[in-house]
Formats: sequence, C-alpha cells, structure tokens
Amino acid sequence: MKVVIKNWHAIAQWRWDTGSNDPDDADGEGDVCGICRVPYEGCCPSCKMPGDDCPLSALGECSHVFHMHCLLQWIGTAASKQQCPMDRRQWVTAERKVDSTRS
Amino acid sequence: MATTALTAQIVLKWQNSFARLNRGQPGISGLLSFSEAWSIATAFLRPRDLADTTPSEHNMQDVRASFDILSRSKMLPMLLENFLEDMRKQLYLITRDINTMMSQYENTGDPQYIASLVYRLVEWFQAWSPIPELGYTVISAYKLAFQTHVFSVLPPSFSSGFKDLIASTFTLSYSTSPPSWTMGPSSSEVKTPPVRPDIPLWTAYDTLGLLDRYESLISSVCYEHIEAHVLETCTGKWGEPMLAPLREWMADKVVPWMIMPYARGARTAAEAQSMLQSVGSRFDFHVCKTLSDLRTREIFDIIIDYPDSLSALQDLKECLQRVDQRTQLVATLRKANKRRLLHPGADTKDILTQYVSIIRCLRIVDPPGVLLFKVADPIRRYLRERADTIRCIVASLVGDGESGDSLVDENEPIQPLQQMQVEDYTDPNWEPEPIDAGPDFRTNRPSDVISTLVSIYDSKDLFVKELQVLLAQRLLAITDGNYERERRNIEILKIRFGEAALQVCEVMLRDMTDSKRIDQHVQSHESLVLHPTIISRHFWPPLQTSKFIMPGQFKQIQDNYAKEFTAFKPDKRLHWLPHLGTISLEITLQDRTVSAEVPPLAAAFIELFSEKDTWTVDELVNKIGSIDRSSALKALATWVDLGVLKEDDNSQYKLLETADASGSGSRTAAPRPANIMEDAPAVLTVQQQQAEQMKVYWKVLHRGNAHKPRVTEFGPDTDDAEDCSGYDRTIEQLGAFMEAARREGLVTVKDGVWKLNRQ
Repeated sequence: MKVVIKNWHAIAQWRWDTGSNDPDDADGEGDVCGICRVPYEGCCPSCKMPGDDCPLSALGECSHVFHMHCLLQWIGTAASKQQCPMDRRQWVTAERKVDSTRS
Repeated sequence: MATTALTAQIVLKWQNSFARLNRGQPGISGLLSFSEAWSIATAFLRPRDLADTTPSEHNMQDVRASFDILSRSKMLPMLLENFLEDMRKQLYLITRDINTMMSQYENTGDPQYIASLVYRLVEWFQAWSPIPELGYTVISAYKLAFQTHVFSVLPPSFSSGFKDLIASTFTLSYSTSPPSWTMGPSSSEVKTPPVRPDIPLWTAYDTLGLLDRYESLISSVCYEHIEAHVLETCTGKWGEPMLAPLREWMADKVVPWMIMPYARGARTAAEAQSMLQSVGSRFDFHVCKTLSDLRTREIFDIIIDYPDSLSALQDLKECLQRVDQRTQLVATLRKANKRRLLHPGADTKDILTQYVSIIRCLRIVDPPGVLLFKVADPIRRYLRERADTIRCIVASLVGDGESGDSLVDENEPIQPLQQMQVEDYTDPNWEPEPIDAGPDFRTNRPSDVISTLVSIYDSKDLFVKELQVLLAQRLLAITDGNYERERRNIEILKIRFGEAALQVCEVMLRDMTDSKRIDQHVQSHESLVLHPTIISRHFWPPLQTSKFIMPGQFKQIQDNYAKEFTAFKPDKRLHWLPHLGTISLEITLQDRTVSAEVPPLAAAFIELFSEKDTWTVDELVNKIGSIDRSSALKALATWVDLGVLKEDDNSQYKLLETADASGSGSRTAAPRPANIMEDAPAVLTVQQQQAEQMKVYWKVLHRGNAHKPRVTEFGPDTDDAEDCSGYDRTIEQLGAFMEAARREGLVTVKDGVWKLNRQ
C-alpha cells in the first residue's frame, strides 16, 4: 500500500523563539512580558497586532525578554538607568543563540 | 231635600248646557241640528271591519259641517271618547289578523309575513284614522290608542321577525327586481315603482310608530350587518388596506340605507347629513372596532406574515387611534406568544425571527413603542434563559449562509449599537411618554433591531466572545483561502460593536492573510503539499488540544515546513495542532486506488498500516500518542467505511490489499461500534470554555477538604471561594458549577450547604 498526500490543510500556532523556552511546553500558557504582563505572543498595550508588528526584544544577557516596545519605553525613561526592570542589571543585549542553530 | 239654592244651581247648569248645544238658535232647532251632526260624525268615525266591503258613503261636506257644529258645541272630547270606545270594541278584528299572520310567520320563519302584517296594520290604521280636520289632539290620541293596542297584542316572536325583515332590507334596497311582497297594497295604485323597493316598508313602519319603538333593534341589525360584512371581507386578507374600502362601502351602501330609519323627513341633503352625523359616527366607530377586534385576534399570524401583511398593520394602527383596544392587543399578543412561541418546542431561531417581526410590526402600529415594550418583555426574559440565544443572534448577524433569511434587513443602514438614551428635555420636539406607558417604560425610539436584540443581555461582551468562536470555526474550515465573506462580516460588525471590541477578530483575519503569504513564500522555496493556517494563539478562542505525533511521511513534511518557516521568520517557531485540519489522500492498493479527504488522525492511522497490515486499536493508540479511544475508533471507522480496513474479531484491524470478496467492503462491517459521535468542533464553545475554567476551582474544594478533614462544608455565601486568588466568578456561576458537580455525584447538597461526597 502506498499513501500519497495530495493536499494537507493543517493548523499551527506560532511561538516566539526565545531560546530558553522548553520546546515541549506545548500547551503551557507561555511566559508573559515582565513589563506589561501580556503574553509574549500577545501584543504590548500600544499595539493592536501581534507578531511581526509587535516583536520581542532581543534576549538580554540577564536572560530576560520583553516586548520590544515595552522595553524601549522603559529604557527611554530616565528612571530606568538603562537597567533591566527585572533584576536591575545593566541591560545588554545577548548574542542570538537561534542564529547559530539555524543554517 | 233640595234647597232652593241647589235647585237654582241645577237650573243654571241645565240652561248653560242647553245654550251651548243650541248655540243661540231659535227654539230647539240648534239642539236638533246638533243631534243630527252627532249621529253623522259618529257614523263616519265608526271603525269598520276591513272585510266589510259595503261602501260607506259619506258626504264629506255634511261630515265637515257636523264636525264644525260639534266643535262649536265643545263636544269634541265627548266625540273622541265615544270614538275610542267604539274602536276598543272593534279591536278584536286587528287582533285576529295579527294572530293569523304571526302564526304563519312562526310556521315558516319567512319575514315576508311580517311585511304583510305591517302592511295590513297600516291598512287598518288608515281605515280608522279620523280626518285631519279634527285636529292634532284627536289624531295623536287615536294613534296612541291604536299603537298601544297593537304593541300589546304583538307576540314576542314579532321582534325577531321584525329584525329579520329589517335585515332583509339591506339586500332589498339594492335589488332591482324586488319580490312582490315588498310592495304595499297601495303600490298597485302607484304606477311608477319607487326608486328603492324598501321605501314602502319604511313608510309603513313610520306610520305605525315601529321605528321609535324598535330603534335599538334597528341599530343592532345594522351593527350585525356591519360585523358580518367586515368579517366576510377582511378575515385573513392582510395584503391590502381594508379600512378605506370599508368606509367606502359604508358610504355607498349603508348610509343610503340609514337615511330611511334615521333621516326620514329630511328635505335637503344638508339636513339629512346633520341628522345622520351622530348615528353615522357611531357606525363608523363600530366598523373600526370590529376591524380592530378581528386584527387583534389575528395578530400573531399577521406578524408571521410580515411584511406581506403591512396593510393590515396600517389598518390596525388607524383603528386603534379611534378605538381604544391597545390593552386587548397587548393581552392577546402576549397570550399568543406564550402559547405558540415561548415553549420548548420552538427553535430559538424561530423565536428570534418572530421577535424581530414583532418589533417591526408593532413599530408600525405604535411608533412610540409602548405596545412593543409591553409585548417584548416576556419574550426577552424567555430568550435570556435560553442557552443558545447568543449563538443564534451572532449566527444571524454574520449571515448564516444556507438558512438565507437573516434577521437583519439588508436595506437597514448599519448603525453602531445604541445605548440607552437619557431623555433630552431641551429637545423642542420632545413629547411626553404615551399615557399607557408603564413606569419602567424606556423610550428607545430610534434603536434598530440589532441593538434591541443585543440589549436582551446586559453586556455585549458575550456577543463578541460568541462571535469569536463562530469566526474561528469558519476560518479554520476554510481551505481555499477565500474568506472575503468573513472579512466583510467583520467590517459590518465593527460598525455595530466598535473597532475595539472586534480587535481580536481583526487579528484572526490577519493571521489568515499572513498564513497565505508565508505559505506562498515557503512553497517558492520548497514545494510541499502542506498548507497550514498559522494562528496567533492568544487571539483565537481556545482550541481543542490533543497530543499525538503524526507518523512517517507526515512528520517529515511537518518538519520540512517548520524548517522553511523558521528560515523565513528566524525568531518564530511553529507549533502544530496535529488533530486539526484535513488531509486529502490517495491510497494505492493492489487492485484499486482510494481517494479520501480525512481528518489528520485517520491519515496517521492509515500511514501506520503501510508499516504492517494488522494492528490492534491499543497498538495504534500507543504508537500515535495520547488520544482517547473513542476518537481512535472513529478514525478507523472512516477507513472501514471506505473499504480499506476490515475489523477482525478481538478489535484487530486489517488492511485490505485486495477488495473484500465477501460483498462490498463498505457494508460488511457490522453496525459500527457505538462511537459515532457528532464531529466535535475544533473550537471550544463559550460554555465549554467556562466549564474548563471552572475546573480549576475544583482543586480549591479539595484543598478545603484537606484543611478541614472532618466536615467539608461550603455554603454558597461563605468566603471560601475567595481562597482562590483571581477568583472572578459570580455566585450564579459557582452555583451552576456546584450543581454540575452534584449531578456527577461529587458533592451532596443539604440545606444550602455542599458537602464533598466521600466514599
């Protein structure tokens, strides 16, 4: 017997690749942005569309991730002193791990 | 012993009388002429039997002269008394006639005998009538005596006979060839027949004073005539305005008839008009009342027929302005709704459709909406209790495709939902609420149908949620990438519910577009048969989850696609929802090929069969991952039906490389195991979502159990529920949850306190 697939309409969800995510965390609620408390796959309060329109910030060296817009707004305020809002360490963007796994 | 004074008095009296009778004539010649005049007059006036045909010859000159003499002698009262006495003696003749004719009528029931009776009475009346020279007093005394007698003799059956006769005059007054009995005896002398055949009858009634005596009877005949006509012409005819034709009919047919009983003796048209005015308006009122009664009885069906019954509604509106039947209308409609609409047998969709029709119809009848408010209240309360009301409303909002008739009128402008308006008293056109408005009546005059429907519920969030579920179901079912209809619907609904409320739907639609674009990109790099819809999970309603892994080539394709996707969007990964979607397959067997479009689970199974020919259900389930047995059986049944697999004993399935020889493979399989469930929709309904969410709180109950091992009691109003941070359910929801738990035997309830059921 031979099974030939002619057409396959499937449903999939997209997830941000934060690198730290456990790939088996299939139906976990997912992490939330530490600033706006909205899930990463949601969108920050100033956005309406999730995904590419409201991306995540790059991973910080402290391994924290936020919505890009949330982080920029935070960094932009004087009180932030350029620190990560979670642990008060200087915010430094880490090298992307994903890039190395790809290609 | 007579005194002299007395004697003198008597003498004086005598002389006075003598002088009066003798009228100052010489000797007693005056007395003689008086006595002659008396005998002529009494002979003339004597009531004769009509049957007595001997001609009575009177020299009218002599008669008049005698009356003159009597009048001068002031003896007319005596004459009248004498005459009436004579008449009384002769009355038995009339009684005899009446009895004969009435018995004829009673035997046949034919009103023409009444007519003959009337004419006969007229003959008697005229034959006995004194000449007009005797003056009004005599005539009226005669008339009174005659009528008193006639009325006292007429049997009770006369009234009904008379009524029939009057009723027959309606048709009579237009007939061109009237039956001969309508002609009075006098008509033989009249050469030209009267303009209307009923005129002689009316004249006769008038002569006998029947009109005054039976006035109420005559008007009741007219009422009945009107009622019969209205019922006959208007019942069930809702397509055309009836009130105007009815009024025309009144003017054409009834008014001319009315002239006879109500405007006799009117000399000019204007005079007749003024005489008819009051009675005419009474009859017009009756027309309106009959029509509005009729329409009130029919109102439920009229509403069903809307908009074909528009004219009937306008008639009703006009009638209600004249007749105060509004409360009856409300009562009737409420009763009809309760009996025919608000019962478990009626579809929610039908109830909604009828409700919308009621809204539209009562707007026509009563623009301020008081009637609607009163009628709608029970319907709204009932709808609120139905579980699927919101779903129905939402389904009709987005146009349910097949069913066709949407609740929303296409022509109606799309408006934003209207909130309750506070009355604006500075509005120069402000009008007070109608007089019969209840205390809780709210003027929501200009609101459209959808706003009214949505306002059944307190918040529109429920609608948005339901809408999201519905949209998700539809979008996920779309395989050809054509979702223009959904986009259009969402655009329309945005106008109604506002952009913000539908933001989620907007994201769902964009996911569809993005998926298409991504797919095009991926396909350009590596042509794959897989075309996924990639969704943003927080913006879709919760989907049914299951974990299984597609085997063999399916897994391969998924992985390939995921790789291409990540290459295109480096910061994103794909997470497959393996049980959703459809796969179109072609299976090449030794002797045949089978094409099928199946759910992924079925595809996964058949893929496994390419590894080996025989599997048990448990083996399959273990291989695939975590799926429940019933859905596994269902997926296998798909292939059994297609004749690809065969169910052996002990729940083994075998691949049929060659078609089953023992008859068509599709039917050998004995009745399918009882697993044929309705296709579980991919999207959880709002209720299911809520139930899922409530399950969390089940843990709280058990925690309570741990805290208080001896008695575990939760009253609905204790604060235990607040143990759980973020608890945001209402008491009602908690109650429903506990009730569900009780049904499953997990808790018992006693005196409003729930107890864990520990066995």
